[in-house]
Amino acid sequence: MLLGLSGLHHDGEVTLEAIAGSDKGDGGVRHGHLLVRLVEAMWDGEPGPLAAAREDLLAAAGADVLVDAVAVSANFHMMTRVADGTGTPLDPGTDEASGEIRDEIEVNDLVSRRHVPTA
Amino acid sequence: MSTYVTELPVRDELDASHAEVMAEWSRAGTWWTGAQRLAMVVEVRRARDAEPLAPWESPSTVDGLILGDSPLPDAVVDVVWRLTNHPGTLTSEWHASILDRGVGALAYVEVVSVVAQVNCVDRFADALELDRVPVPDAEPGEPEGEAPSDAEVRLHWVPTTDTGGPNVWRALSGVPSELEARSRLSTPHYLEGRAVFGDVVSDRFSLQRVQMELIAARTSKLNECFY
Repeated sequence: MLLGLSGLHHDGEVTLEAIAGSDKGDGGVRHGHLLVRLVEAMWDGEPGPLAAAREDLLAAAGADVLVDAVAVSANFHMMTRVADGTGTPLDPGTDEASGEIRDEIEVNDLVSRRHVPTA
Repeated sequence: MSTYVTELPVRDELDASHAEVMAEWSRAGTWWTGAQRLAMVVEVRRARDAEPLAPWESPSTVDGLILGDSPLPDAVVDVVWRLTNHPGTLTSEWHASILDRGVGALAYVEVVSVVAQVNCVDRFADALELDRVPVPDAEPGEPEGEAPSDAEVRLHWVPTTDTGGPNVWRALSGVPSELEARSRLSTPHYLEGRAVFGDVVSDRFSLQRVQMELIAARTSKLNECFY
């Protein structure tokens, strides 16, 4: 949702394919492919691919981007656990506005799917 | 003195936030002692470093996985492992089963908060091959055990207060000190709370906002988080 919103104010078209994986291109985001590859390597935790992902992003974008990208991903390892540990439902405004996006990024079948109960 | 020994440009506020949050975990919270909160840190690390369990397997059902001297109830150890390794598989029935095992509704919220924060801090260190923040000795003290007067189950599984903001911000509001701790950690990692939806344009640190949101979205998808 926020990728779509921030993309509206970004030079060039930002698309959602990269959310599905690093084999889907960069989504119109600078270094998008390398950033997603780093996130995936963090998730997998395998030392070799993680080191390679770090080195490639470091070479292309620099050390500040590497550290900040890791920091953002780590934050969302936290926020996803807050949301799913507490049974947080989508916000009403987001629920209505994000239907097509959820279809596109294929999250509507997740176990963690929770909507705001309607009266 | 820096938390991390590295040549990487870890921003000062980010570095300091990890030392500060570890110090917070070592002190009594609202529902758990400092020793119990640090035991949660240890269990997150054990869960991440262990041979993976399937989502339906709890450490309390596997011989040898519960530490004999743990100050935590078995149900809490099970929460720590499941939330660390399989957050996208949690259901309201599972949550109810944890409460049925004697974990208080707001004590559970504090567990979720600490576990989520430890996952943030440790995954940052692990990804950059930094030494994880050492676990200190626990500070003495007892949890105050006071619930906000307006905490009740509304839209979440857990009790929340009538604070404003997106639902994920309200999620920890039943334990205000945890809501604040989570927010203090998020700010140097990502954004200050009001900016998340209030300013979707401005870049932050060395990243463009769209880069941050791509990272956020891919991380959330990997964690199978619908929210």
